[in-house]
Amino acid sequence: MGSSVSHAATLPPPPPPPPAVGLTGVLPPKTEEKGETKVDWLNLPCPVPFEEIQREALMSLKPELFEGLRFDFTKGLNQKFSLSHSVFMGSMEVPSQSSDTIKVPTAHYEFGANFLDPKLMLVGRVLTDGRLNARVKCDLTDNLTLKINAQLTNEPHFSQGMFNFDYKGKDYRSQFQVGNNAFYGANYIQSVSPHLSLGSEVFWLGHQRKSGIGFAARYNTDKMVATGQVASTGIVALSYVQKVSEKVSLASDFMYNHMTRDVTSSFGYDYILRQCRLRGKIDSTGCVAAYLEERLNMGVNFILSAEIDHRKKDYKFGFGMTVGE
Amino acid sequence: MASRVSSKGKGKAGRGPDDGSTARCVKDWSTWAMKKAKVVAHYGFIPLIIVIGMNSEPKPHLSQLVSPV
Repeated sequence: MGSSVSHAATLPPPPPPPPAVGLTGVLPPKTEEKGETKVDWLNLPCPVPFEEIQREALMSLKPELFEGLRFDFTKGLNQKFSLSHSVFMGSMEVPSQSSDTIKVPTAHYEFGANFLDPKLMLVGRVLTDGRLNARVKCDLTDNLTLKINAQLTNEPHFSQGMFNFDYKGKDYRSQFQVGNNAFYGANYIQSVSPHLSLGSEVFWLGHQRKSGIGFAARYNTDKMVATGQVASTGIVALSYVQKVSEKVSLASDFMYNHMTRDVTSSFGYDYILRQCRLRGKIDSTGCVAAYLEERLNMGVNFILSAEIDHRKKDYKFGFGMTVGE
Repeated sequence: MASRVSSKGKGKAGRGPDDGSTARCVKDWSTWAMKKAKVVAHYGFIPLIIVIGMNSEPKPHLSQLVSPV
């Protein structure tokens, strides 16, 4: 009697399901694939802002090259507020009409204050000669943003300011700009497919009675970005960036100016490594440039900048240090 | 329509300073206001950022503003 009860109590547990055989256990189920290839035309992603349409190419091909010594110190007082002190000693290039480059030795100290909030961003920089660079970005509502950019100087008639109103829609962005010298501009960019976005801009310069219109297109996938821009001022600009791996990007850029019959094309690379970021480029004008930011320690960066222009015989080398985030 | 336009034109030529004075006043005042706004922004922008920053949470101490550490 006792033995039969104990037998019933100790029934073996049901056998586990047989393990998946071969590849059926490894591959995801087939229904997911169908969802990926079908495009949801009513839910396209929001495109990048019109002025940032070439941002990957600009980040890789146009680092802030300088000549001389640069030292930046950023001190954070709390999460949102920080002060910055910056010293620069070296030559700055003055734009000249002739083909010679005119370099003016300058030295200045720049004091800056930044306030960064999710809804409000205030950045101000003031130089020893009294020039002020101000940037304000304010989210008026969820979709409407006001941006102000100003360079104020002590000399009369040299100050510049620009007000931008940005509206972000579901799959489009539009912007309206008002600037000094009676400058009015507007642009609009729309996603037409998950990878392609098209945009256009118009502007009107009051003081010189000039107006212009331009069109832009951007095609991007995870691995590459291709953009093209045409403007009625006679400028055609194309760019292509390929992300070869997580750490390496290659970029190329082509610009044609119909008024001055100027053609420039450049090719560059961007290595983002753990301890450093190295960007280099070569131009069709025979100019070779490189920019290295090396992380020496937490928050301490060492910067080297070099630009060699064989045709104009202009050699610029700079070094500097950045302390703070 | 044409007569109204022509009389307006004649009127403007006849009474120039009076008729255009409101438009010129507005333009003069707006230029004066822009000049004052530019001076205010030039001197007051950085102090404004510092005041807003010193009043944000967590409140930093005044000595942190000047010390290099």
